[in-house]
Amino acid sequence: MNRKTKTIRQFQSYHQKLSIWLILGASLLFTLLICLGFGISGVVAWSNPWLWIVPLLALGLNAGLLLLVLPQITRPLYEILAALAHKTGEPNPNTLPNPNSKQNEKTGFKTVLQALYSESQQHDDTKSDSQSFLTEALNHTSCGVIIIGPDKQIISANAASPIGYDQAGKPFLALSFLDDISLEQWIGECDSTAINAERRWQRVPTDSRVMKKQRYFDVIASYEKGAAAETVLLLVDQTERYLPEEEDLNFIAFAAHELRGPITVIRGYLDILEQEMADRLRGDEAELLSRLTVSANRLSGYINNILNVARFDRHHLQVHLYEDTVYNIYASIADDMQLRAKSQHRLLNVLIPKDLPTVAADRGSISEAIGNLIDNAIKYSFEGGTVTVSAANKGDFVEISVADNGVGMPPNIVKNLFRKFYRSHRSRETVAGTGIGLYITKAFVESHGGSISVSSKENEGSVFSFTLPVYASVADKLLDDGQLNQSLVRRGGGWIKNHSTYRR
Amino acid sequence: MAIKTILCIEDDRFIGEMYVRSLQKAGYSVEWMVDGSDGLVAARNKPYDLIILDLMLPEQRGDQILDALRNDTVDLIPDSKILVMTNFEQDDSSREAMLKRVDGYLIKADITPRRLIEVIEELGGQTNE
Repeated sequence: MNRKTKTIRQFQSYHQKLSIWLILGASLLFTLLICLGFGISGVVAWSNPWLWIVPLLALGLNAGLLLLVLPQITRPLYEILAALAHKTGEPNPNTLPNPNSKQNEKTGFKTVLQALYSESQQHDDTKSDSQSFLTEALNHTSCGVIIIGPDKQIISANAASPIGYDQAGKPFLALSFLDDISLEQWIGECDSTAINAERRWQRVPTDSRVMKKQRYFDVIASYEKGAAAETVLLLVDQTERYLPEEEDLNFIAFAAHELRGPITVIRGYLDILEQEMADRLRGDEAELLSRLTVSANRLSGYINNILNVARFDRHHLQVHLYEDTVYNIYASIADDMQLRAKSQHRLLNVLIPKDLPTVAADRGSISEAIGNLIDNAIKYSFEGGTVTVSAANKGDFVEISVADNGVGMPPNIVKNLFRKFYRSHRSRETVAGTGIGLYITKAFVESHGGSISVSSKENEGSVFSFTLPVYASVADKLLDDGQLNQSLVRRGGGWIKNHSTYRR
Repeated sequence: MAIKTILCIEDDRFIGEMYVRSLQKAGYSVEWMVDGSDGLVAARNKPYDLIILDLMLPEQRGDQILDALRNDTVDLIPDSKILVMTNFEQDDSSREAMLKRVDGYLIKADITPRRLIEVIEELGGQTNE
């Protein structure tokens, strides 16, 4: 006996043959029994040929009829077998039974076939028990887990993942990467430069257009080129940690905006008074008026610093790079700076050559950065001291320096200098300040792709220097971006797209 | 055509008066509206060379006025320049949408009347080209 596993098709043909033999056998047996019955009972004599002819004719007819209706009787069985063969993946030359045919609908066989087919579907989905187990387990966690395939489409995302759906019903990651490089850009970079890579983002908010309830995630992305699960994202929900801070920052931003109203009025009317009273002022009145102006301008600068820190900490700080010269940038604040220095009895010495290469700069941010450094130089120097602002070309950068001959700093202070709210022990006692000026200045410079440094000697003075990229060295990147109101900002080794603003 | 007539839509009385006074002294003809609805009506009724538009306004906000005057399908003020002046900076996406339709977006606290006149001269200079 052949012990090899038989196919469903083999069983079908076996069953077909068996049915035919059973019909023929049963008919023959029935005929013999009738003949014997007639012969033994003596109703028909053994010698009478009709005793054999009539039952044999009946046998033929009966068997013929049965064989004719056999396919009809066995059809459902064979269709079920064909469907099963399809489900198990056995090659099957027969056409698959159609559950929607009129006859099947009428007889109700449709239900049977549908049950078979849909069972087959479920079977496909749960092909791997371990996979379904994993999916279920991941749905319990509050961490988002997202798998992105080599075609950059989301393959799988657990329940905690911030996912939106586009019009075609395709899932997408509903996070706003704000001023940082976005996941998409990072994967794009990985595609061209890496085989394996990992990157972390902090404090990434959900896209408010998609998710009503704002949440914040720390995101860890792992990339392996070409793998079925090419990019795996782990998202840690940090809403509880970041939201209160976010609300504080919102309040600070709101309060600072409110302060701008009165500042506008004070600066505006001082400007008018200064102009209209110029030839009527006597003695030190002009000096007093200019002190008001200097103070109002400084107040305005502090408010901008506070707003920029709030924006930077929320990843909303954006700079918009245009071709500009350090000379022109300084010219836009020169009068104000001169006034500040003069009113505090410092000599401001400006040595910015006109013919330096142009830089890629956001004029508003860089003038605020220079203003902060000059303010510091004035604060930490002595009356009658000199503050020198200079600029020089250094390779692909232009370096801007602000030097004073003031109190200077010991080395242990220098390393903390650019931290938010940092004030040295000594400066806390002697000089007013908030400790955000250098923090935001560093943020401005670095968002231009430059760097800031300081050299200082106690009792001799300090030199703060920062660099800006020469426009020609980054022009290609800026122009690649094409659109008028967009520009690129270098950050953390990558170039990212940024939207523009209009600042003067 | 150089800028001669200016419509100033500004709800803060001190700031509005300050602009009107300085601009008139500089030789411009200035009309001043303190709420958004009046501002929109004025802008529709008469052509101005320049509209100075605040954003936080009673009745109608500045961005709504801008939408009504100049949108994707209609430009009711094709010959006017628009200078948005605000102290409350918009988020990036709404500012982007606005920037395409205006000639300037300035922070009021950063702009003194003298600076404003310089800016307007620059805008007027552009029209002469």
